[in-house]
Amino acid sequence: MSEVKYNPSIIYGIFDDDDDLLQSAKVFRANRISVANVYSPFPIHGIDPVIGHKRTNVSVAAFVFGATGFSLAVLMIWYMLISDWPINVGGKPNWTFAANFPAFVPVLFESTVFCAAHGMSITYLLLNRLLPGFNPRNPDPRSTDDKFIMEINMSDNWDAKYDEVVYLLKQTGASEIKER
Amino acid sequence: MHDGVYPAVTAGAAPVVEAAEEPATAPEHKEGDAHATPHGRPQAPVAVAAPVAAAISADPATISTAAANLNKVKGGAFELVIYEKTGLGDGRLANNPWLQELPDPISRVTWDNYITMSIADMNSDDFKFNILNGQEQLSNVAEVVVNGVTLKLPVYASPGQAKGTIGIALGYGRTKAGKTANGIGANAFPAVTINKDNGFFEYSAVDVKVNKTSETYNLAGTQTFHTMMGRAIVKETTLDAYKKDAKAGNEPVLLSLSNGTKDTPNNVNLWEDHPRLNHKWGMSIDLNTCLGCGACVIGCHSENNVAVVGKDEVRRGRDMHWLRIDRYYTSDMTEKKAEEEGVGAIDKFLDMEVPSDSPRVVFQPVMCQHCNHAPCETVCPVLATTHSNEGLNQMTYNRCIGTKYCGNNCPYKVRRFNWFKYADNSAFDFHMNDTLGKMVLNPDVIVRGRGVMEKCSMCVQRIQEGKLNAKKEGRRPIDGEIKTACQQVCPTNAITFGDLNDDTHTVTKHSKEPRMYHLLEEVGIQPSVFYMTKVRNVSASEL
Amino acid sequence: MAHAPSNNLREPLILGEKSYHDITVDICRPIETRANKLWYVVFGLSFITMLWGIGLIAYTVGTGLGVWGLNKSVEWAWDITNFVWWIGIGHAGTLISAILLLFRQRWRMSINRAAEAMTIFAVICAAIYPVFHMGRVWVGYWVLPLPNQFGSLWANFNSPLLWDVFAISTYFSVSLVFWYIGLIPDFATVRDRAITPAAKKAYTLLSFGWTGNAKAWARFEEVSLVLAGLSTPLVLSVHTIVSMDFATSVIPGWHTTIFPPYFVAGAIFSGFAMVLTLMLIVRKVLGLEAYITVAHVEAMNKIIILTGSIVGVAYLTELFMSWYSGVEYEQYAFLNRATGPYWWAYWSMMTCNVVTPQLFWFPKIRKSLVATFIISIFVNIGMWFERFVIIVTSLHRDYLPSSWMMFHPSFVDIGIFVGSIGLFFVMFLLFARTFPVIALNELKTILKATGKYKRTSPQPEYKIEDLILESRKGKSGAAIHGEEHH
Repeated sequence: MSEVKYNPSIIYGIFDDDDDLLQSAKVFRANRISVANVYSPFPIHGIDPVIGHKRTNVSVAAFVFGATGFSLAVLMIWYMLISDWPINVGGKPNWTFAANFPAFVPVLFESTVFCAAHGMSITYLLLNRLLPGFNPRNPDPRSTDDKFIMEINMSDNWDAKYDEVVYLLKQTGASEIKER
Repeated sequence: MHDGVYPAVTAGAAPVVEAAEEPATAPEHKEGDAHATPHGRPQAPVAVAAPVAAAISADPATISTAAANLNKVKGGAFELVIYEKTGLGDGRLANNPWLQELPDPISRVTWDNYITMSIADMNSDDFKFNILNGQEQLSNVAEVVVNGVTLKLPVYASPGQAKGTIGIALGYGRTKAGKTANGIGANAFPAVTINKDNGFFEYSAVDVKVNKTSETYNLAGTQTFHTMMGRAIVKETTLDAYKKDAKAGNEPVLLSLSNGTKDTPNNVNLWEDHPRLNHKWGMSIDLNTCLGCGACVIGCHSENNVAVVGKDEVRRGRDMHWLRIDRYYTSDMTEKKAEEEGVGAIDKFLDMEVPSDSPRVVFQPVMCQHCNHAPCETVCPVLATTHSNEGLNQMTYNRCIGTKYCGNNCPYKVRRFNWFKYADNSAFDFHMNDTLGKMVLNPDVIVRGRGVMEKCSMCVQRIQEGKLNAKKEGRRPIDGEIKTACQQVCPTNAITFGDLNDDTHTVTKHSKEPRMYHLLEEVGIQPSVFYMTKVRNVSASEL
Repeated sequence: MAHAPSNNLREPLILGEKSYHDITVDICRPIETRANKLWYVVFGLSFITMLWGIGLIAYTVGTGLGVWGLNKSVEWAWDITNFVWWIGIGHAGTLISAILLLFRQRWRMSINRAAEAMTIFAVICAAIYPVFHMGRVWVGYWVLPLPNQFGSLWANFNSPLLWDVFAISTYFSVSLVFWYIGLIPDFATVRDRAITPAAKKAYTLLSFGWTGNAKAWARFEEVSLVLAGLSTPLVLSVHTIVSMDFATSVIPGWHTTIFPPYFVAGAIFSGFAMVLTLMLIVRKVLGLEAYITVAHVEAMNKIIILTGSIVGVAYLTELFMSWYSGVEYEQYAFLNRATGPYWWAYWSMMTCNVVTPQLFWFPKIRKSLVATFIISIFVNIGMWFERFVIIVTSLHRDYLPSSWMMFHPSFVDIGIFVGSIGLFFVMFLLFARTFPVIALNELKTILKATGKYKRTSPQPEYKIEDLILESRKGKSGAAIHGEEHH
């Protein structure tokens, strides 16, 4: 009997509960089967170390952009009010940046926050590949509603068998299995 | 001139124009006397009636008879005094919008004449007229019946007006003067009579009836509060006190410092000041010599193309006077009195709003003080108002975007905003809406557009001209060479402008006088304009 | 937090037994169903009011600011009162999203989306005023420090108005971004449920291709945390800077260092009152009573007591300091406020802001939705009067009595204000029917901890050790995903 071994490259386990999926992911990790991705309608806390995702760099971006924003603002104000055209406004001293510094604090602060926030947000959108009109890549439209999908890529797991994966998924509470 | 209409007055008093008789005395003439006519008195015959038989003597009996006659004035009847306003005079130039919009020095009302009445009379049961005016309250309209003539005018509360008297100004009620003057106010000339004894014009009348009407009127006043509210805005003292101590009445303003000492505001500085290496323009205003005539206001208007806004806008508090003459009355309630009598703060301030029945009056011309720590400059977001290195507060009209923060932040409230387009606008059809009117404009000064702030520039165009002329001759401007428009027209030389860095200038000498003080010095904004205390010629050690 | 044990001590934040799908359906319902007649009526009224306001703005720009009631002494009145009022209202949204996030207050999740929307719309309404109160609106862009042909003449960084330009634009753009980033996953939910091609297209565009993978969510949480951390000082600084429009001036009644905390507390106070007004209506009309509960209302009322008390203390401090300072101008300024011609505005402010929020100390009132609704409206009225009193009574009688004047609004002042309210409701009503009004995906994260979670399939029972397959033991296996990939 020639058994055609059915070997899809990606297996999706669809769960109805986030805790179920988290526990299931731990089982897979214990079985040294790598989970490629998890799709959920909300962040599942604790999933990242289990499936091996590292910390994000988004906050670093915020700091870098913030520092840039501050420096640019200092440069801008110094150039405009101290270097290029110092004007006597209300008798305020304009010979050095430090002499007039208290008046500049609000603008410096706001520029820092502006650049930090927008720089980080644009970085975030680009890292997540989110731009207007982009098409989504979630495997099942219900993953933004109430289903939690675990994606197991068989090409990552060359020594695991399809049957093993399906068995584990079923045992850990997956209500559906999809393949691609 | 007046329209020549006289009511049918008492018979037999028609002015008789006799053939010219030899004038009683020929005036003395000196060579070069500018005011003498070549042949003594003017040629036109003067109506000279027969000398009055009963001459006025100092006989006490006559005086008491006269006084008794006064008291015999029937109940409810007033004595009317017809007067001329300083700006409008007899009304021959009533069509001049500057003069119409010039606030009367005492009433601070524009664009109308009115019945001035004492507050006591206005509060009497017969009338119960509204005392406040302008924005605070509408004025009541009353009818004045004098010698068969009826004049209907709003009633204005005039502190210090004698009880039982009313006043009405001439020069109004014109019908053929032009678009500006026609229909403004009521004509008081019909109430002027000819004295049947001496043929002089009689500008007063007794036995005048004042009748209430149900109408009200919104007088276009530029000032609605009339006392200094216990604040040291105008400083005054008596001659006796001044002779004893030249700094009388001019208490120094001192700020308490954290180290326990006190110092003047100019010395309490958060930062180092900008140097005044070349010129340091300053202005002194001598409150002693200022009459409140208003010539400086007109001078400023004509020099700087200041817009006339009309009655309705003045009613809304939007006059454009760069320079205004504040008039303050004294009040019976003072800080000292409140302390002595234990009057609470709320009552004290309410009482301070009320002028005395017989108040002292002071005038104070206020224009941009060109503060060296100007609060207006700091808050303009676009640098439309800045400070020159010669001490002037500059206003850059074409940079102003009209946020009006500068106007709010000015403690002297000298800034004026262009709420509408005042030029080339038929809603403001005065002198900026046609080619003929525009010939009055000064080509050295720009006409401001809608939405920008303006204020006294210390006639910077004249300063620049003066500096340039002096520079061409390789010298500094000499004293009196650069005159601001207000200084130029002041009849008593109350205003002096000059270079505080130059000891030869009069203003510098004034600045060293003990009478010198800055308005609102305690705010610490270091104005370049200063005032000199008013010294009253009374025999008293204090006012 | 998703698997934190259910807390039986606190009141549930989500009522009834809900599954994740129930939450989705409940919150998407207003988007997926047609609006009722009432919505159309209110929308129509708001739209007409908005058009009236726009017409009056055009009249103002065309004719001049003279059509307003301002005069030579009172050059700011309704315009800046309304500006500060709207901006203050906007601050609650940011506070709810940002500060309550940092304080881990889970109850914020039902209201933060609508509150942030309120912030965006309130800032738009507020922005009308600094723009149109300018005498020359058409050159308003000169506040930006751009190179130009005038020198270049730059901008005045000493001016609080310029600080406002930077602060408000930062605040608006950052709030918009924060709100939108939070909306993206929710738009994805609506997109994936959309049936009509138009809706599918629209929400695909709006959701930016959100997929919902774990890495994206990790970044999402990080971004939310950092934006919350940035927005917190932002909201505090923005209203501080707005208060400095007054505090840095020399006018008695304005020139006081208490303004920054006073204004910030007042902004949060009025903002929460507006959130309450809106949420009490929204929950009823959109059928979201299970998500916006009495517990939420009560929590917001407690914040109102806190901020209202701060505002009350600030009022009393101002009065004390004006007396204690001994400065005649300050003393007069405050006596005039309480007993002068605008005394009715001052006492409205005092009763609405100091007295009414104190009623929330009583639990019965605090938990009553009707009482809350009424009090929230009073608070907003009181806060309008607070800004009016600060601006107009200080300007109308300042240093020199010769400049003292009254201020009366013109029909244009009033009309533009009413028009701005119309604009706000137009935007909010459209939002309520096209955007998910509650952060539906965020809410799901707290369902288990704060509500009754309804499972849709039975819980699997096993032990991990039991499920380690023999065939997998000893395998080195492929690399755990993530060690090689990003």
